[in-house]
Amino acid sequence: MKNQILSPLVAVGVLLIAGCGTNAHYVQSGGRESVVSVDQINIQDFIAAANAATTDLLASGALDRVSKPPAVLAMSRIVNNTSQQIDTDLLTKKIRVALLQSGKAVTTTTFGLGGPEDPLAQNIQQQEAKPTRLPDFTLSGKIIETFAKAGNTKQSTYSFQLSLTDNRGLAVWEGDKDITKQGTRSGVGF
Amino acid sequence: MKTKLAALFAAALTVAGCHTTTVNSVENAQKSGQRYMIPDQRVVTDLSLNRKVSVVGVNTAMTPGNVLKVQVELLNEGSKLQRFVYTFEWFDANGMQINNVTSATIADQIEGRESKFISAVAPTPACTDFRLKLIKAN
Repeated sequence: MKNQILSPLVAVGVLLIAGCGTNAHYVQSGGRESVVSVDQINIQDFIAAANAATTDLLASGALDRVSKPPAVLAMSRIVNNTSQQIDTDLLTKKIRVALLQSGKAVTTTTFGLGGPEDPLAQNIQQQEAKPTRLPDFTLSGKIIETFAKAGNTKQSTYSFQLSLTDNRGLAVWEGDKDITKQGTRSGVGF
Repeated sequence: MKTKLAALFAAALTVAGCHTTTVNSVENAQKSGQRYMIPDQRVVTDLSLNRKVSVVGVNTAMTPGNVLKVQVELLNEGSKLQRFVYTFEWFDANGMQINNVTSATIADQIEGRESKFISAVAPTPACTDFRLKLIKAN
């Protein structure tokens, strides 16, 4: 009698557990099915920050104010002031790609903070004795995190701050994008 | 007694679940700026979302760098906050889609009865057309 009651319950339990799992599958990077973590920067956060910066930069017209377009951009320091180890290229590369596609700016890979990004390209440039065009602008920035908690609810804000400085040392464009997430645990979907 | 308590509990839950926040606003009556509204073409597949994130109008402008900028006015006709995601897609003069970070999926929200604007800038000066996709968030 006991088994007759327990067996269907166990079967239902197994089915429920099996139904809750998902097989590995591809999702769109930064799409609405992405995992959202409260306590870490997700790929969609980098994409949203890069989107905001690119949109704002293109709208400002700052890159158009150069004597010889397209503007030459050099990457400066992006300070990671978060508790996580992150590769800031996740932010800057997306901006660089979009600016290159826009035709408004090209990024130098032979001139940069802490040495050239592409040493081989710099060697070739030196061998051919081609004059180096100094950058019109440098891009620098900082990523900052702020945490807050109320009961079980956690909240994190990631601030992506960027500055475009011209060769007079003036910040001609600045962007600041805050992304705030709240919840008790990580979830799937926006 | 037990029945009364249960009814009270259910009523409290209902009230908590139906909590609404709507928006009051004020603006200058005589506008000095002029929006260049464009005719738009809409495809609605989610009627519920269409009421909560309703498109009021679309206006465009050119940036100083001759890039198309699009601004869409949204209105929540409901009385509850609605979360949604949106994506701007961009097309060149040949109708070919140009994909980069400017076509990202962006999470946003709109309060009850609120009117708000979302905007985007085309990825290149060659982009002449656009499409905005609005999807209800989870």
